[in-house]
Amino acid sequence: MLRSGPTGARNAPALEQINAEVFTLTYGSIVRQLISDYEDIEEVNKQLEQMGYNMGIRLVDEFLAKAKISRCSSFRDTADVVAKQALPMFLNVTANVTNWSPDQTECSLVLTDNPLADFVELPDEYRELRYCNVLAGVVRGALEMVNMEVECRWVSDMLRGDDCYELRLKLKEHRDEKFPYKDDD
Amino acid sequence: MGIACVAFIGPQNNPMYLRSIDPASDDLYMKLHYVIHCALDAVEEKVLLKRGPGDSQDAYLGLLYPTEDYKVYGYLTNTHVKVLLLLDDEGAVKDEAVMRVFRRLHGLYVDTASNPFHKFGLPLSSPRFDAAVDGVVSIYRGAGASQGGFMT
Repeated sequence: MLRSGPTGARNAPALEQINAEVFTLTYGSIVRQLISDYEDIEEVNKQLEQMGYNMGIRLVDEFLAKAKISRCSSFRDTADVVAKQALPMFLNVTANVTNWSPDQTECSLVLTDNPLADFVELPDEYRELRYCNVLAGVVRGALEMVNMEVECRWVSDMLRGDDCYELRLKLKEHRDEKFPYKDDD
Repeated sequence: MGIACVAFIGPQNNPMYLRSIDPASDDLYMKLHYVIHCALDAVEEKVLLKRGPGDSQDAYLGLLYPTEDYKVYGYLTNTHVKVLLLLDDEGAVKDEAVMRVFRRLHGLYVDTASNPFHKFGLPLSSPRFDAAVDGVVSIYRGAGASQGGFMT
């Protein structure tokens, strides 16, 4: 999606790209429009997440088709793939995976740079806005399509004064692959 | 020594930003407003004189007019946002250095106006912008004024 620098992604395949400012300003206008349409920040957060979800369930197919990765054997692998492959491919940033819970079902993706939020300063009246919530939705949607039910939420946000962007992932359920058809169909 | 005041004026001559670099009393602020207000006429004059039909449009307007305490420099963007600087330098001022300050301030304005929550044409109220302006000013104070140039 974004222009990829020489130091950018590790072996991420070249996708069609868009100018970073067009992308950032477009996202900014969407958020503003949502705020003026819904007038309630909680509702805006929900809508952003839902939009992200709808993107994620589509995007995961493109990712799996174009990224040359093998099957993930654990949730740990999955988180790594999201942080080191998927984010660079679509957003041209990498994240670090840290803060694993002892049972390996919860972790954090930490971003220090976030092209969605370039130029943005949150006014005080929108303190509760989770500006980048669309990303949480994308991750949730994408992982749901590969049989992982996860919960995603932002626990730190540089726009609210924290020193990084931290997206908390929590694996709720890992379903077995189910086929909707039977042999005799 | 150096930059005393930075001002951004909108296309309809609406004040968007006026900041005294050193802490200022209300009286001083009134005076700064007054000087800036007068400078707006000088901007118009300068633009009329300078810009014939075929002239290339240079954003930097140079010295607009000197007052007793300040020298007023101007910069006009293509969207008619005026940036004004009040310098209290005693000696010669290097155009080159002032021009660089203007370019940076212009860049800062562009970034701030790109904030989706910025209301267009209204005063710029952003802590990040304030801090960045301070940065530009202190660079000018540190190196620019005496040697006439600093690294970009």
